[in-house]
Parts: sequence; structure tokens; C-alpha cells
Amino acid sequence: MKYEEAVAYIASRWQDELVVTSAGTTSELWHAETGDTERVFYLEASMSLSSVFACGIAQGVPDKPVWVFSGDGAFCMNPGMLQVERQMNLPNLKHFMLSNRVYGSTSNVPLPGRVDNDYAAIARGFGIERVYSFGSMNELQGTFEEAVLEPGHTFIHLEVEPMNYRGASPPMDGPEVKFRFGRYVERVTGNQVFSAPLDHD
Amino acid sequence: MDNNLDASVSSAARADETGYSSEIAQGIADTCADAGISLVASLPDDWIAYTISKFELDERFNHVPVNREESALGLCSGAFLAGTGSAALMGASGLMTLIYGITKINYTYEIPIYFLITHRGTFDDGAKFHVSNGLYLEDVMQSINMPYTIVNSRDEMPMIAEAYHHSRKISRPTVAVLPKKLLKGTV
Repeated sequence: MKYEEAVAYIASRWQDELVVTSAGTTSELWHAETGDTERVFYLEASMSLSSVFACGIAQGVPDKPVWVFSGDGAFCMNPGMLQVERQMNLPNLKHFMLSNRVYGSTSNVPLPGRVDNDYAAIARGFGIERVYSFGSMNELQGTFEEAVLEPGHTFIHLEVEPMNYRGASPPMDGPEVKFRFGRYVERVTGNQVFSAPLDHD
Repeated sequence: MDNNLDASVSSAARADETGYSSEIAQGIADTCADAGISLVASLPDDWIAYTISKFELDERFNHVPVNREESALGLCSGAFLAGTGSAALMGASGLMTLIYGITKINYTYEIPIYFLITHRGTFDDGAKFHVSNGLYLEDVMQSINMPYTIVNSRDEMPMIAEAYHHSRKISRPTVAVLPKKLLKGTV
């Protein structure tokens, strides 16, 4: 499955979910596909923290679906993230893990264990109940509604080909990403993100 | 196998046997709740085992034991964007592993996060392998301009809430440091 086709298809099915992207390629592709600057938190170069970051969001907005992307490079830095995901078991969280067996954002340097890593088995080994593994667009498209649109914490492994992509980063500095996303969350959920009660003296 | 609640009761009993203060641990939990913290992510340290059990057993909190300190950082940073007040509770050693995460996420995006950590490496620390934290912990926090306060006695426990609110004011991380004597209830 081609990386860019998988991302483009998922973007085409995007409705009102909050989205957290991962390092480099996913952020660049998602922004290129959608141009969105409000409903997406472009979490660049977090080195494995995108899914737990999304857990933090999802637990506070239980009525809002949250989609999060990670790559296998980041995943391998912190596979124990799945312990946290499993323990929280947030029904509104969908974790897309794109596996291309290389560090795609750094010139496709090969990943250790690249041949043998069985990410779906790892997820099941941590006790995650809804685990899907797709190696083709037909599989992704044919099972998308069951895997992604039905409630329940879900880990979705997408086996994709490495690509030589170097797109532009989303044209925002960190604080702008924070404020756009946070203001959107405030608007659609009523939660107060930036309104911590403070004294004035 | 015990569930989390039963395991926390056992852990609290062990912390009691080793001389840590239930009253102080409860005071930390109460101060956090009053400050608006409802999510606590934790990694263990002997000194805060009682405190962790208080958060686990207290219905005012969603307590999430995490697999490593960076996951606490990620979880609490995301929680901010949903409007959830949070604290990341860990040993000093854990904080020392977080410099990349702090500078990459919390400084780049200006996302506040609040850390509660142990004051490892002090003269009363019996664990030889924490000496290096005593040598460098404060220097490391100062080197990235991360405001911190050492809560030296029960009279200073309101600083736990002040440090949390300060993180929200400045949109950056802050740290409240918990000494062993405080956690044992001797000061």
C-alpha cells in the first residue's frame, strides 16, 4: 500500500474527528491533503508521544472521536504506549500506525527489527481488543467503517511502502497550532482550555 | 491478580511500614484537587508510593499509571488541550529523562505541564544510585529555565497549588519538589 494513498483515503473519510499527527511525513501529508489548521494538532517530532498525547485529549472530550497517527519508528521507541492506551481504553480513540519499516522522516534509514516486527501481535499482546492490520488499499477501504467508525479503542496497523517525500511543514509555529486547536476544542465542546482561573493581584 | 485498587491498598500499607506519612500524602492529593487537577499520571518512587495510592483510591482523580515518564508528559500535555487540569507525578530520576520531551512539546508549543517530583539525592537519601540526581537535578532544571519550588515543610504545601497555577500563567512547565522529610511527615 502506498503511504500517500493511505493517508489520502483516511483524509477523504474525515468528518468531525479531532486529529493528532506524528513526525514529519504524516503531518506534511495530512496538511497537504486537508489544509486544515484547526481540527488537527500537528505534533512534530515527538518521538513516540503522539498516541499518549491523543489519550490526554480524548479523555477530556469523551463525545468527540480522536484519530491519532504514529509511525513505526516512533512506535518502536515506546511500544509501552500501548499499555497506557489499553489501561485507559478510551472508546473515542483510534490509533493509526503507519509502518514502512524505515525512519521515513530521516531519509528512510532502516529500522532495527524491520523484517520481524509484528505490530498487530504486539498490540494484541498488550491486551488491546480491537486490532486491525491492513496491507492493501482494498483491505483498508473494505473494513474502514468497522475498524474506524465503530466505537471502541482501536489500533490500526497500516503496512505501507517507504516513500521519498519531503513536503512543506504546516505553516504554523507551535503556539499557533496550540491556540487554533485549543480554541476549536473550546468552541465545539464547551471545555475551557485557556481559561485557568487566576488571581489578579 | 489484584486489581489496581487492591494493589494500591497493598502499596499504601507497605509505604506505611517504611515510615511515609498518610497525612502528607492526603494533603498533597487534597491540594491538587482544590487546585483543579483531576488527571494524575504517575511513575513510582518509594518516597511517593503513598501519594500514588492516594490518587488511585480518590474518586476526584483519574489516576493513570504510565509505562515511562515521557508518556506522563505526553498524556498531561494532551490533557491540557481538552481543558483537563493534570499533574505528572514521578521521581527525580524520571524528570531527568524528560529534557527532550519538555523542550520539544512544552516549549515548542507553549503547553503548560506540572510536575510533582521527589527531591532525590539529598543528604537524607539512602539510595546511593540517586546521588547523581542530587548533584545535577537543580542545575538541569535551571539550565532550561524551568521554574521550581522545593516544598520544605507542611506549612509550605500551598506552594503545590501555586506551582500548578504558575504553569498555567506562563504556559510552560513548573515543578514542585517533594523532600523525603516532608513525605515522612517530620517537617
